[in-house]
Amino acid sequence: MSTGRDPQGMTRRQLMVHSAWFGAAVVLTVAGGEVISHVAGSTGAAQAAQRARPTLRFAQISDSHIGFTGTANTSVTGTFTEAINQVNGLGFTPDFVIHTGDLTHLSKPAQFDQVKQMLTGLNTPHIFTVPGEHDSVDDGGQKYRQAFGAGTRGDGWYSFDIAGVHVIGLVNTLSFSKMGGGHLGTDQLDFIEKDVAPLSSDTPVIVFSHFPLFAMYPDWGWGTDDATQALSYLRRFSSVTCLNGHVHQLFTKTEGNITFHTATTTAYPLPHPGDGPAPKPVTLPAGKLHDALGIREVSYIKGQQTLALKEQKLS
Amino acid sequence: MTSTPTNITSSPPTTAVSSTAANRAGRLAVRIGIASTLAISGVIHAYLYIHGYQYIPTIGTAFLVQASVFCALGVLVAAGGPAWLRWAGGVASVAALAAFALSRTVGLFGFTERGWQPSPHAAVSVIAEVLTVALVTASMLNSRSKTAAT
Repeated sequence: MSTGRDPQGMTRRQLMVHSAWFGAAVVLTVAGGEVISHVAGSTGAAQAAQRARPTLRFAQISDSHIGFTGTANTSVTGTFTEAINQVNGLGFTPDFVIHTGDLTHLSKPAQFDQVKQMLTGLNTPHIFTVPGEHDSVDDGGQKYRQAFGAGTRGDGWYSFDIAGVHVIGLVNTLSFSKMGGGHLGTDQLDFIEKDVAPLSSDTPVIVFSHFPLFAMYPDWGWGTDDATQALSYLRRFSSVTCLNGHVHQLFTKTEGNITFHTATTTAYPLPHPGDGPAPKPVTLPAGKLHDALGIREVSYIKGQQTLALKEQKLS
Repeated sequence: MTSTPTNITSSPPTTAVSSTAANRAGRLAVRIGIASTLAISGVIHAYLYIHGYQYIPTIGTAFLVQASVFCALGVLVAAGGPAWLRWAGGVASVAALAAFALSRTVGLFGFTERGWQPSPHAAVSVIAEVLTVALVTASMLNSRSKTAAT
């Protein structure tokens, strides 16, 4: 005959009581999550994005390294084509597409021709680029500027306004810091200071660069030595979003109202900071490469302080 | 001399009653303290999730889970739930503090932040979680010493 007591000493009644509390915890957690998601959806960009077209929508691709040959990706043109097709399949026409550098692998004229030709396949009214260090291997970025520098200033930097957002494209790959990282230089810093001076502090600002504008991993040159000066001109703005390439992996950092988002690549992955002696291309097991590659969709809705980012793996 | 035994037998029950009442009030205060600090941390994470963190890959989801779990634990602890709910709150708070430390050092799921940003949310949340851990620890030590005494 059952006594109602298990071998551990807990009565059935106690077991039921504890089970009830556990059930309540689960139910409350799920319900709480639903409520928070609903509130976030009704006040944030998510619902607005569903109900109305965002003020600005664009896509970011990065580090296509056209011309690369190696086991890490035996067909960088193939994966770049897939990335372009994925942008074209977003379900809307992006206001523009930004390529955040290392379009080519060795800055060869044929590689610039090829990548420029491939970019014309993007279904968007505007394509913007910033150069990577691979785009200025032997000529200080001259071939890059011939291919993509129309309408830019200085060594290829620029700014423009679109849908109430101020966008700045920077070049931090022409001279290097002591650690091999990015450098902007005084001319470009002057440009930034004068460029943003007339803007009101509630203007959303987006900054594109190849090297990160924060010290992601200085030992590998993953940073920009004079970025602090550039950022000092931007700190008064309520929303500053810095998008960069170079590191071939997703990484996010916030400093007050400034948010940094590194992008993944369409070519090959690099190791995480500090994994190994140097950032060399990583060869993944068969079938895993596409998980490390991708594109980014960015939306901005007027009145929102932050941009909505949606990462997509290469499908 | 019959008064002495009478005094001896009448005095201890009075002390025991007041001591029990004090213990009960103490336990209630600790329980409310744990519930409050859990809820504060949960509400702060919910606020941050709603105001931008939802868009940060992985971290957004983590904030949503943290907020809903902490708020649920806060409500159930306040409602007089069993001790394991308080322990769960303590363990979750330790995990939240560890995640905070990682986000300020080596990064967490590719996410890093500097110092006490966003202010004052980060500082308030950390204080709440440290208090949760302290109160849960005190509660556990108290119940252990009572068990040992009996």
